[in-house]
Amino acid sequence: MQRDIKHTWYFDHAPEHIWDYLTKPELLSQWLMESDFKPIVGHTFMFNTRPKVKLGFDGLIYCEVLEVKPFTRLSYTWKGGPGKGKITLDSVVVWTLIPKESGTELVLEHKGFTGMKNFLSYLIMNKGWQKIKTRLAVHLDKTYK
Amino acid sequence: MTQQALDVFQVIADPNRRYILELLSEKSLSINALAENFDMSRPAVSKHIKALHTAGFISIEDIGRERHCILNQDGFLELQEWINYFDSFWKNKLKNLETLLNKKK
Repeated sequence: MQRDIKHTWYFDHAPEHIWDYLTKPELLSQWLMESDFKPIVGHTFMFNTRPKVKLGFDGLIYCEVLEVKPFTRLSYTWKGGPGKGKITLDSVVVWTLIPKESGTELVLEHKGFTGMKNFLSYLIMNKGWQKIKTRLAVHLDKTYK
Repeated sequence: MTQQALDVFQVIADPNRRYILELLSEKSLSINALAENFDMSRPAVSKHIKALHTAGFISIEDIGRERHCILNQDGFLELQEWINYFDSFWKNKLKNLETLLNKKK
């Protein structure tokens, strides 16, 4: 199973230029989404995109800036859900800028898609059943012996 | 005799019930097909299935005349859908950025 999203793109522009496009709301809105972003750790902001009802997603993404390393690294939380403040998606977005040749390699990582709710299914789907059995056996020995 | 609600660990403490889950992790099966894997009576198998169903391990669907047992993958599938959705989301957005930056040159 895929746990993380990772995309690497090369742009023939300096990291400072790419950074502007990641951090200035008036530029972000031109390629990503409308937002009230500020490159300040702890700043909370929202992105607004099209709802995806089937997925239980109302189109609002709640974010908090986690890390700002000018021209190098930027990360924020990325949370969403079906509405009324209910959060079912809890993840983190990390941007890394690496100077390369005459431009910039931009790495996007979207990760942290985890939750106990999915753990059992995850193990079963990944043929990890043997592991569950072993763990269970230990647990059961402790409980019932 | 009324059957008491069992906790998750009690439910899978029974080797027969664990074996049912193991069979269902390969593919969904009808109750009849499941019962063929056991020496016990069909009502006995049904009782185990009921315990697994109550605990949320499996869902039961009527397909034609048969009742089918399906490993409950809701949580797993939901997660996978989010990942698939945002994977193409980011691909599209980065493409936008590329187009935008190419225009500026």
